[in-house]
Amino acid sequence: MPWEFVLPKSLTGPSTRTASLSTSAEMHMDSDAFAAFYQRSARPLWAYLARVSGDPALADDLMQESYVRYLCAANPPSHLADGEVAARRYLFRIAGNLLRDHWRRPRSTSIDDLPEELFATAHHSAPSDTQARLGPALRQMRPRDRQILWLAHAEGYSHREIAEVTGLVSASVRLLLFRARRKMAGLLQDQPQKSLQAQNSANGRQP
Amino acid sequence: MTLSTCSREKELVEVLAKGHWPHACPEELRVHVTACRSCADLVLVACAFQSARNHSIASANLPSPGVLWWRAQLRRRNQAIERVGKPILFAQVFALSMVLLLGLGLAVSQARHGLNWLSWLDQLPRLPFGPLDRPALSLSSLFTSGWSLTLLIPALATVAVLGGVVVYLASEKQ
Repeated sequence: MPWEFVLPKSLTGPSTRTASLSTSAEMHMDSDAFAAFYQRSARPLWAYLARVSGDPALADDLMQESYVRYLCAANPPSHLADGEVAARRYLFRIAGNLLRDHWRRPRSTSIDDLPEELFATAHHSAPSDTQARLGPALRQMRPRDRQILWLAHAEGYSHREIAEVTGLVSASVRLLLFRARRKMAGLLQDQPQKSLQAQNSANGRQP
Repeated sequence: MTLSTCSREKELVEVLAKGHWPHACPEELRVHVTACRSCADLVLVACAFQSARNHSIASANLPSPGVLWWRAQLRRRNQAIERVGKPILFAQVFALSMVLLLGLGLAVSQARHGLNWLSWLDQLPRLPFGPLDRPALSLSSLFTSGWSLTLLIPALATVAVLGGVVVYLASEKQ
């Protein structure tokens, strides 16, 4: 059953299917097509948001908002007409803009707004070596560098596609990516040494 | 920092994207990576990010697409209602400003008569009203003459209507 029939009649009108087809976003995508597109694209989008923001709860919110904005957009690229890649790029662009808006906002100091993982105990599964090194290294990078690195190396986007998603010039992306990658490689190489030093100092303090 | 990229970077990127690194790639490329700093950085960073992506994708907890579809429907309808409401709001503001302007004009015109309300009615009999030969609109004869009531009642009705419009607009705003 299509989800629009869940809505009350007063909201949907007499003929939901017909009326909804006249709206912009649904011209190219009905609820079933959206569900299929969502299943294919949501996990990579969530991974992008979670890793770049460093906050899984924020990633949940921004991912939902990205899809709602995608559906409400006046003329979004259709995954049928323009291809799945174009639709995904558009989705990543919306998500990137939402992330930028979030970073521009003044930081909240409320305890309710802190990510839950800050209070998490050691019952979670131990992350792999790469995972353990990547998190701290990413936190030391600028938000824009995190975005560019993720799009290039996790999503495999070209410079032109990254430029399209981030709104930067393609030539700038090349330079920024080169610098960010060199910095990230340095951080990843430094991490084991730092953790070893920290372990040694901790052992030295032990009686 | 100078931008010095390796000529084999493109080839390496393709190998990494296809997941052929390290076992399914040419031996000479592996040897090159050990000697080239730029390519070594690329391999280190790309492997770390791909591993992180796989880990994050596996741990993602997604809401139902139906919920998002429903939220989008609601937001689209709210946007449509807002679009329709804009001209109505403009008309309300216009009507309110017209009423205020009219009230202001009336107050100014009455102020010219020394704030002596309805004193101008005494001057009306001197105007060429045809069959009127006595001060039909003077205050004393206001309630005795049918002609004067025909002026007073529409005036009061106009004030009442305008007052009603103002009250309606004010309540609508709230």
